[in-house]
Amino acid sequence: MMPAKNLVKMVVGNTLRSRRHFILSAFGIVIGIATFVLFLASTEQVGAVLERIFPVEEVEVVAPQVSLLGKDISKRLDDTLVQTIKTRPEAKRVLPRMSLQFPAYGDGTFNGSHLSLEIGGAADGIDPSYVVDDAALSAKEHEFFADVFKDWESDPTPRTACVPPGPKDPNPCPRTDRYYCDKVDRQCHHRVPVVLSPTMLELYNTQFAKSHGTPVIDQDFAKFIIQQGGMERMRFTLALGVSVFGSASAAGKSREVEATVIGISSKAKKIGMTVPLAYISRWNTEFVSRDAGKTYSSIVVTLAQREQLAVFAQWLQDKLDLRLEDSLGEKFATVVFVIRLVLVIISLVIIGISSINIAHNFFMQVTERRRELGLLRAVGATQTDVQLVVMGEAGLIGVIGGVLGILCGWLLSLAVDGLSNHYVPNFPFKPTTWFHFQWWILLGGLACATFFSVIGGYLPARKAARMQPAAALAAQ
Amino acid sequence: MADKAAPVIRLRDVTKSYGVGSAKTPVLRGVSFDVNPGELIALVGQSGSGKSTLLNIIGGLDTCDAGEVEVLGLDTRKATDAARAKMRNESIGFVFQAFNLLDHLTVLDNVTLPASFTPDAKDLETRGREALRRVGLADLAKRRPGELSGGQKQRVAIARALFGNPKLLLCDEPTGNLDSQTGKEVIDFFRELNAKDGVTLVIVTHERRVSSVAQRVIAMKDGMLVETTDEALAAGGGPA
Ligand SMILES: Nc1ncnc2c1ncn2[C@@H]1O[C@H](COP(=O)(O)OP(=O)(O)OP(=O)(O)O)[C@@H](O)[C@H]1O
Ligand SMILES: [Mg+2]
Repeated sequence: MMPAKNLVKMVVGNTLRSRRHFILSAFGIVIGIATFVLFLASTEQVGAVLERIFPVEEVEVVAPQVSLLGKDISKRLDDTLVQTIKTRPEAKRVLPRMSLQFPAYGDGTFNGSHLSLEIGGAADGIDPSYVVDDAALSAKEHEFFADVFKDWESDPTPRTACVPPGPKDPNPCPRTDRYYCDKVDRQCHHRVPVVLSPTMLELYNTQFAKSHGTPVIDQDFAKFIIQQGGMERMRFTLALGVSVFGSASAAGKSREVEATVIGISSKAKKIGMTVPLAYISRWNTEFVSRDAGKTYSSIVVTLAQREQLAVFAQWLQDKLDLRLEDSLGEKFATVVFVIRLVLVIISLVIIGISSINIAHNFFMQVTERRRELGLLRAVGATQTDVQLVVMGEAGLIGVIGGVLGILCGWLLSLAVDGLSNHYVPNFPFKPTTWFHFQWWILLGGLACATFFSVIGGYLPARKAARMQPAAALAAQ
Repeated sequence: MADKAAPVIRLRDVTKSYGVGSAKTPVLRGVSFDVNPGELIALVGQSGSGKSTLLNIIGGLDTCDAGEVEVLGLDTRKATDAARAKMRNESIGFVFQAFNLLDHLTVLDNVTLPASFTPDAKDLETRGREALRRVGLADLAKRRPGELSGGQKQRVAIARALFGNPKLLLCDEPTGNLDSQTGKEVIDFFRELNAKDGVTLVIVTHERRVSSVAQRVIAMKDGMLVETTDEALAAGGGPA
């Protein structure tokens, strides 16, 4: 075989020689690879955004609704069930969730604007660790959440007595940003810590902030709170037992507590608010029944591996008569996967056609160049050398075509992002870019381009190598 | 008999035909001869008598159907493609009627082209320029073949054939495309090459001048060797 250095030199020289041949051969590869990387990068990004909104390995166990003669006889989700589920090897973490079972409404000046919201069906309690141990949190956020997001009512520190202030009076409690004076027991209580979902933040930013002209909040909520004057600015009153429509709870009881938004968590209920489980459990006991304080609305199970989903779901169904809440994450992941598959197949078809096109062009070219190839044989090229030279030329077209294709794909992605930022209105979770060019996508594009070009060059190269040098040299 | 050096070329009953079935036409019909080291052979004969075919078979650029072909000690029929390529690369130079220069390369790069297939080739530029100097074209190293006259082109082709210091030079009508004066210069060059450097040459030619400088004239007719008479020379050589 000829020395590799000489091979490369000859291949590069020959490729640069015929620009027309190069353009005709590389054109298809450029388009194919551009679509290839573009499709992969966009589905990568969309998949990532969706997975952020709907985590896949987290599932929610619910009891199917069953009623008999108008009476709800659905299976009760209680601590015994939680314990049973915990014995399963697939379940890495099992945390009950409880929703507020009586009317309530929130009322406050949130970031300067007066807001009044029905909370009844939209408040959830969850074990604080679920929010605090979120892997997505920065160290700083984690520290902050661990400090604040907990059941302050079980805090052993003795409470200070206070006189409930009038509407205009200042807060009599120490650390006014955190404590308020309860009107019933006349003691200073820590405000109920509330976390909101990024969905709520997006809704606020895209819907509310725009129409009310209030500042848009960025994802680093803690920073925002400090900018805006501390947690006190985020507080609101929770009227327990009272609906925003004025109707009281069945028992006719009502009382007010104060709450404060302490941050944004993707673990929070998508639409609504999330507080530590103990608060909801206590309020349900107080306003509904002891049973209600022990009945969960769902059980959040984090699977050790997402592949175990089917096994776990089957077990739930067979042994416990429970089912999994339809997991949107799973559905979206499947949809994105299928779309990605279809798009990749389309671009592979384009690349495949380009490969055939390359074969066609090279067949013509080796016929045109047979005198030259015959001469190479006469001065000492082996059949293998000729084969390598021609396949090398095809490969080089693939490499250059691949790089140009990636470049085209990238430029196109910039154009799409530019148009999207200009013309597509903001919506929750709208990403700043629709593409994520992972290194493996670029590498895959380049490898694909080279591979298919070399494949296209293979048969023409074999033909070139098998030509009888004497006949080739005699050609006109 | 005195110990003679092994022949550079040894042909025995070489046959070759083109085409298949009823279109099959024999081109070589049992050709046998030896060429000894340092000989200058003129291969003559009418057009279509099989001279080029024979020369290509000797150089391993074509294959024969039957017979024995031994060149520089290599049985070219049994040898691998790599072995034949190595022999062409290191020991044989070709000169064609049509020059066969690569137009996209400079004159110098055309001359050093054989080195592309030689492992560890060194001093390419120096050796290439030396080969060009030998054919009197030292000044044209950086030109392209398209800028040269026919005679200059053929001299570049000869420089390329000489680049690897071959033992055997196979020339197929090297003066066919040249005017008589230039042709004469080329012939003189070959004779000098044979006399000074001991290079063995086989020259296919129609020109009487070549046959006159040759130590031996091999004449062909219809794929067979014929008596090398003046008659045959006249028939093969055409008008002098
Ligand atoms: N590739 C080929 N296919 C079919 N026939 C061929 C081929 N090459 C040569 N021939 C035939 O073989 C015969 C010998 O051809 P060759 O080229 O060896 O003759 P030549 O003696 O060199 O003639 P010239 O003096 O015209 O060059 C001719 O009849 C030619 O038509
Ligand atoms: Mg001929």
